[in-house]
Amino acid sequence: MRRLLIAAALAALPTSAAFAGEDFSAAEVDRIAVHGPWPLPWTADPGNRVSGNAAAIRLGHDLFFDPRLSANRRVACASCHDPARGFQDGRRTGRGLVTGTRNTPGLFNLRHQRWFGWDGGHDNLWSASLRPILDPREMGGKASRVARALRSKSTLDCHYAAAFGKRPDAGDPELLVNVAKAIAAWQETLVSPATPFDQFRAALARQDAQTAAAYPAAAQRGLRLFLGRGQCATCHAGPLFSNGEFGDIGMPFFIKPNGVDPGRQGGIKRLLANPHNLLGAYNDDPTRDNATGTKFLRPEHRNFGEFKVPSLRNLTLTAPYMHNGSLATLREVVKHYSELDEDRLHADGERILKPLHLSEAESADLVAFLESLSPDTPLPVPAAPPAVASCR
Amino acid sequence: MINSRRWRYGEDLRGALVALALGVITSSAQAACPPDATDGAVLKAGELVLAYRPVLAGKPGRIPMAKHFALEVQMCDKAGVSIARLQKVDATMPEHRHGMNYRPLITPLGGGRFRVEGMMLHMAGHWQLVFEIQSGKEATRLTDDVQID
Ligand code: HEC
Ligand code: HEC
Repeated sequence: MRRLLIAAALAALPTSAAFAGEDFSAAEVDRIAVHGPWPLPWTADPGNRVSGNAAAIRLGHDLFFDPRLSANRRVACASCHDPARGFQDGRRTGRGLVTGTRNTPGLFNLRHQRWFGWDGGHDNLWSASLRPILDPREMGGKASRVARALRSKSTLDCHYAAAFGKRPDAGDPELLVNVAKAIAAWQETLVSPATPFDQFRAALARQDAQTAAAYPAAAQRGLRLFLGRGQCATCHAGPLFSNGEFGDIGMPFFIKPNGVDPGRQGGIKRLLANPHNLLGAYNDDPTRDNATGTKFLRPEHRNFGEFKVPSLRNLTLTAPYMHNGSLATLREVVKHYSELDEDRLHADGERILKPLHLSEAESADLVAFLESLSPDTPLPVPAAPPAVASCR
Repeated sequence: MINSRRWRYGEDLRGALVALALGVITSSAQAACPPDATDGAVLKAGELVLAYRPVLAGKPGRIPMAKHFALEVQMCDKAGVSIARLQKVDATMPEHRHGMNYRPLITPLGGGRFRVEGMMLHMAGHWQLVFEIQSGKEATRLTDDVQID
């Protein structure tokens, strides 16, 4: 029996009288363990031949912050994906050339995602990075504008040539895909740091009760709820706290004035129609092993109104929440699950979610746990990656 | 004595013919009938025996959660290698009334062996693997309960 008596260790600490640690069973410790370790090992993306390439990473960084790719020369990726806010914008829904209908997600830990966008309309990071450049609601860009922006600045021009072996040319059918692959190469380097939860998990694993006890008691109780009665880990699984798939938690999918967001159902359609998916010619992985998910997809009626199960890391940086940004705080999210309206779940939808009817104290515990999945110190804005020698 | 020897000889020949007909005789693809623990989990319905083994990134392993994996399937009957067809493989979560988000592809390898690609059990909990087998007019359904954490 592997039992860790945190409470016992706490008794030895001078100021912890009011602090009652949870006593996790061996089975619980095992279930906690699957949410780590963190960070995950990084491997290059086989579908992107410039993944991990220093020139592409620098180019991608510079383009991410460059508003000249957009139609009005005012919107950059960073306008919505603000590095000071976990690469999100704090708005209900993103605002580019016009206001969109979905919440802007943060961009940490992208290398470990299978699907991109709330509807999983992309199966790879570079095609998800190309969409906003061309989307008339976001940046409204085009190849000629992108080529001009690249050629007008010597560092951009040089890093493009260093990464792709040719100069940027508006007539090159690969130009936009290459630019998107460079931006992807930079975004892949954005990995969020270890959190109080990760430290707790690691301490449990090495049976270090003293370090484990530094994890607040409320977060420990919230963790137990998350794994147990809440059944949250069924979907929010693994080190990312997401199984990478899609679900329906009864969020409304109506869009003002009278539209609907079909969620995953529309995402599958967009994905399969997209020449930049992994089944297409731009996938750089000759084995096509990375296209398994797309190749074997099975559309189902229930996909209507399903949205991607978001990662729960860095939540304190990325309010508001949900695909439509309709919940402003983690308290509201927990209230949603606590008072869940089962009639809102689709008839053939999940039978996992039940209203949890949490007490005030339990709700606060669950919020404390969710907060512990974010870094406890402010994140520095990432510095520009170094220029490659030939471009200095 | 003579009878039983003749029976075995006949079956060996039949197995070899089946393998020939399917054009697959490589030493590594040789059928192991009846299957044993090295062939994975063994399921039985009457005389039909099905063994399956999860394969991840080319190596045998446990069924992972929310990651794609393949299955190697071996089917045998009292004659040795079964000539039945593995028609369909699926997985459902009976309590949640839903199945997989992916439709797996079955490739016959000969010698009663099949490769099933594109499987993924995307949630933690109780899943049921379902194998549908067609032998002439006879359809057989084999299931196996698996717990994914
Ligand atoms: C107008 C605001 C806006 C701009 C500008 C913008 N994005 Fe986004 N981004 C969004 C929104 C909203 C989503 C969610 C889209 C969806 O679900 O369909 C998103 C989704 C993404 C995703 C998928 C993330 C995930 O976890 O699924 C990536 C990657 C991304 N954007 C990268 C970029 C890049 C690179 C640029 C610049 C080329 C960019 N974005 C420009 C608002 C914006
Ligand atoms: C059936 C799968 C499932 C279960 C179980 C589940 N969630 Fe979720 N969760 C989702 C999906 C899907 C979304 C996004 C829904 C949307 O945007 O419409 C989500 C969104 C969230 C968000 C918002 C994250 C963001 O960045 O916007 C939080 C926080 C969250 N869930 C916490 C929990 C907690 C706590 C529990 C347990 C009480 C839980 N979830 C149980 C699938 C699930």
